[in-house]
Amino acid sequence: MNQDYILCECSLSALENFVTELEKYFNVVVAKTPSICMTMVKAEDSVESQTFYLGEALTTECQLLVNDKIGYGICIGDEPVRAYCIAFFDAITDIENEFLPQINQFLKEQLAAIELSQKIEHNHILRTKVDFKIMEQD
Amino acid sequence: MGYVAVKGGSDAIENSLELVEFYRIRNSITPIEIEQIKSQLRLAVDKVMGEGGLFTPEYAAIALKQAEGEVFEAAFILRAFRTTLQRRYYSESINTREMFVKRKISASFREIPGGQILGPTRDYSQRIMDTKKASESTADIQNFLQQFESKIDNNTLKSIKTYAKVIDLLREQGLLKPIDKKENKQLLDITREAIKFPAARSARLQMLARAETGGLMAMGYASMRGFGSVHPTVGELRYGSVPVTVKDPSGKLRYIGKIEVTEAEMINGTSSNKKSEAALYTIGYGLCFGQNDTKAICMGILDTTMRNPDSNQPANDQEFVLYHTEGIESMGFTNHLKLPHYVTFQSSLKNVREEVERKKEVATV
Repeated sequence: MNQDYILCECSLSALENFVTELEKYFNVVVAKTPSICMTMVKAEDSVESQTFYLGEALTTECQLLVNDKIGYGICIGDEPVRAYCIAFFDAITDIENEFLPQINQFLKEQLAAIELSQKIEHNHILRTKVDFKIMEQD
Repeated sequence: MGYVAVKGGSDAIENSLELVEFYRIRNSITPIEIEQIKSQLRLAVDKVMGEGGLFTPEYAAIALKQAEGEVFEAAFILRAFRTTLQRRYYSESINTREMFVKRKISASFREIPGGQILGPTRDYSQRIMDTKKASESTADIQNFLQQFESKIDNNTLKSIKTYAKVIDLLREQGLLKPIDKKENKQLLDITREAIKFPAARSARLQMLARAETGGLMAMGYASMRGFGSVHPTVGELRYGSVPVTVKDPSGKLRYIGKIEVTEAEMINGTSSNKKSEAALYTIGYGLCFGQNDTKAICMGILDTTMRNPDSNQPANDQEFVLYHTEGIESMGFTNHLKLPHYVTFQSSLKNVREEVERKKEVATV
């Protein structure tokens, strides 16, 4: 289960609500407030594996200290709340704490929702699958 | 003689900008929301991101709104915006084999891994004006979505797949020309270091990726029409989203989200002068932000043309292609013609008048 994948793709309101509830039980210090920056996206030509820079992606980054444990939150887009929450998760999942079962449950539920939504989209896309016949064929 | 700048006029310039704003909103109609632009002008947003060189649907939509829909201007605004931001991360190379595929076609092979998926395209439509769009209501949208969603059964969903590539078929059969060992493989960044010619392939691909779609199309089309030598077939065209990962400050690899890209692998025939060598295929590569088939295809064509330098063919000339398809620079230079050139022109005028006088004198002698 890739935690970052889930936190980047899940519902923002669900994530914000979960973190708001949980952070009351921890000592949270903002080491770096969420701010926008850029990530240079590297790509690779699929034929010759020539690496090149495709362009940049707007990114938000944030750093928190949760019970003195540092957490980094990075995500594509202007997403200060999400970056904060990712940083919070990054820190708390590295600390022994009583909330780990709840955290895992939250991640599981969000992953299921993401997968369902992607599967639905994928199945809509599959409806456009085509098998063109050559004129002489039946 | 160089350009001589002017000064003053700041009141008129400010008033002019105010007038622009007035014309943009003069009828006091409901402002367009950024979400509406992102969703309903999706392809324009993609173009702005591609040409602006910054993946950010939200800010591209704001730029489009600010520029009253002028894509060049919006891309210019986005490029200017990116100069205000720090580049804090470099991603690992994105892998298009991991793409969540929304479209995947080949014009070369009928049967491709996973089949041909048209995805969202107007390719096979007749471009008939849909006048109902003029009176589209929220209820119409809801009805469409409801009907659309009912077309699949959520209880029998097929699993998501990633797909092997069409070019792998050619590679497996040994039909691809071996990589040119003389090619400069260095990874350059044209946003940090001015391009030099002949340019490394990485620099050419980076410039093509943020080039202007129309410019690329003009060059690619010229090459196919005979002002060049490349007329390829689409080996594979893919559109979808790919994951992006970076290393955080602790060095840990982190998923940070996904970006949408269009990728084209264009198959070109070659010729061989040697009796013992078969004429194999080469692949031209195109990749750009968002859904933009034309851009990716033309990038793939020009990737090939530029590997065969020929100063008699514009599309085969690196400098010609890369400088003139750079939309922001081309637009900037073209538009600078509107700025006062009084001194330059007066100087030219003086010369012409003197020449006219001299000719008159010669004629009367």
